[in-house]
Amino acid sequence: MKIFNLKNIGLLVLLIVAVFLPVVISDYWRFVLTIAFFYTIMAASWNLLGGYTGQFSLGHHTFAMIGAYTSTLLMQKAGAPFWVSIPAGILLTMIISSLLGVMCLRIHGIYLALITWAFAEVVRNYFRLHYAFTGGDRGIDSPLIFGTMKPTPYYYLFLGIAVLAIVLIAVIMRSKIGYYLRSIRDDPIAARSMGVDIVRYKIFVFMVASGLAGMAGVFYGHSIGLISPVMGDFNEMAMIIIFVVIGGMRTQAGPIVGAISVRYLMELLRAQSEFRIVILTAIVILIMRFFNGGLMELFRRLKKWIRRDREGPVSAYQELEQKQG
Amino acid sequence: MRSLSSYPANSGTSKCKQKEDEAIDLHLFSQFLITGIIMGVLYCLMSMGINFIYGIMKVINWSMGEFFMIGAFTQYILLTFLLGADYWYVGVILSALVVFILGALVQRILIKPMFVGIIEAKMEYATIVTISMAIFLRNIAVAIGGPKIYTPPDYAGPTQILTLPLSGNRLVAFIGALILLGLFYYFIKKSWTGRAFQGVAQNRSGVQTAGVNVLKYDMLAFGIGTALAGAGGALLAPIFLVHPLCGLVPTVRGFEIIVIAGLGSIPGILVAGLSLGIAESLGSAFISPSFVDIYGFILLVIILSIKPYGLFGKPEREV
Repeated sequence: MKIFNLKNIGLLVLLIVAVFLPVVISDYWRFVLTIAFFYTIMAASWNLLGGYTGQFSLGHHTFAMIGAYTSTLLMQKAGAPFWVSIPAGILLTMIISSLLGVMCLRIHGIYLALITWAFAEVVRNYFRLHYAFTGGDRGIDSPLIFGTMKPTPYYYLFLGIAVLAIVLIAVIMRSKIGYYLRSIRDDPIAARSMGVDIVRYKIFVFMVASGLAGMAGVFYGHSIGLISPVMGDFNEMAMIIIFVVIGGMRTQAGPIVGAISVRYLMELLRAQSEFRIVILTAIVILIMRFFNGGLMELFRRLKKWIRRDREGPVSAYQELEQKQG
Repeated sequence: MRSLSSYPANSGTSKCKQKEDEAIDLHLFSQFLITGIIMGVLYCLMSMGINFIYGIMKVINWSMGEFFMIGAFTQYILLTFLLGADYWYVGVILSALVVFILGALVQRILIKPMFVGIIEAKMEYATIVTISMAIFLRNIAVAIGGPKIYTPPDYAGPTQILTLPLSGNRLVAFIGALILLGLFYYFIKKSWTGRAFQGVAQNRSGVQTAGVNVLKYDMLAFGIGTALAGAGGALLAPIFLVHPLCGLVPTVRGFEIIVIAGLGSIPGILVAGLSLGIAESLGSAFISPSFVDIYGFILLVIILSIKPYGLFGKPEREV
């Protein structure tokens, strides 16, 4: 296998473009891209969980919120430094997610969605109502990790952790575990009869995905400077699903393409704040109904259409058929 | 939202007042118990709709809260512009009808393709489509209604049960919900259509050979399930008030009830709904109102760790 094939060179070029992009764009667009990277991590980790493994967690945004609040509250109330509070936030999301996973991943898939949804609303309402501790709807000030409001350092921070998360997910999907996860999605009973410990791997993937979401949330809080229960609003979860479905479910690049392009579209439609979500959800319904696969499927078909005449025969029979015309 | 029921009770504990306090505690206790029972029955209505749709089509309708919201909005519009406050019971029936038609249309357009062989990953499709629809409807409601909270006229004035004061709206909603649940139960158990529904829930292909048009019943079931939510929204309009997010709390409770009861069990829903309502009401009264949403969830966690499939649920086989 060649390391310098066309695909890897393309990825490298994209990375270099992303690294040097802040030189040419304004502060505003740097900030927009920072937020887009945050959503990229969320979408990619949810794709690992909901797309590849088929475990529909509807509390993914809540784990980001828990991470952000844990880290901020540790700093504000207990005076912990960054190097304690950030790992603590990530660790706590992983612990909570594994406990939830132990509870509801033993049973039928739909229960996970029901329970995580209830969990998300419960946690959000807790943060709203217990205002003496969490600041309520007004939110809570989160210390900035670089001590500045300038978006450039946060851009590189989020680019870094987004690349890290995507590489981690790619490694998982290419390892033996990746095949286990796909088999769990396609047929849990067959997977179990082939010796895959499905509950263990479900909990593992739930923990990894939620931990990634928690990590994204922790850094999000420390780079925005203010966290509030809006982070736990169900609209956020819907946005994650929108990114993944529009980009293309069960593809590695789908969530990335989806998150960045949809965030860009949302910036263009800034004036119509409610209608942009109405339009996006309508697009999602149409994609699910008529064109399963999203943007990546579109690219694949386009590539196939361009390469049509260069495609070699699949079987000897086909070759014979082609020769005969 | 849950304003009156969530005040912390019991503050003074000096010794000379202790006897008086106990009497007050008992009084408060029974009052919160009644509030809990009333809310529990109302949550039952919500989760009955979700459960019915799941039983027939094996699809969870995530946009139930939005149909609840549409029912509440329809009721508000009917009462303020057409009927007037006295005919609220006509309004409830009409808004249930509107939601029924809307639900049946949604099923016809979006959910039916699942069963005629176009869609491959069924659960994924249903989840994503209904979640998107929930956000779609919610944001349309925000765009049309604005970020305002509308207050429909009261259905009934404050009343008393023995010596306990009680909000008339809650009592009316309670009785209305009981009537609706009773009618629904009677419909499912006694009528021919209801028996056909039981058959569809048991075995889709089996009942098809007996001459039941399953696709038509799917549409009816989706309409009836959403109409229950819509009627709930109309009944609860003076309590939860009318705004784009008003369906959220009842839906969360509805899902919690379903998980506690186990999917597809009707008596389980009544038990789970009542216990959830009581746990919530007593918890917020005697422990702390900040954690009002957590009591139900703790109940859920306890029951799931003892019985993973819920109180009355059976392990389901997926092949």
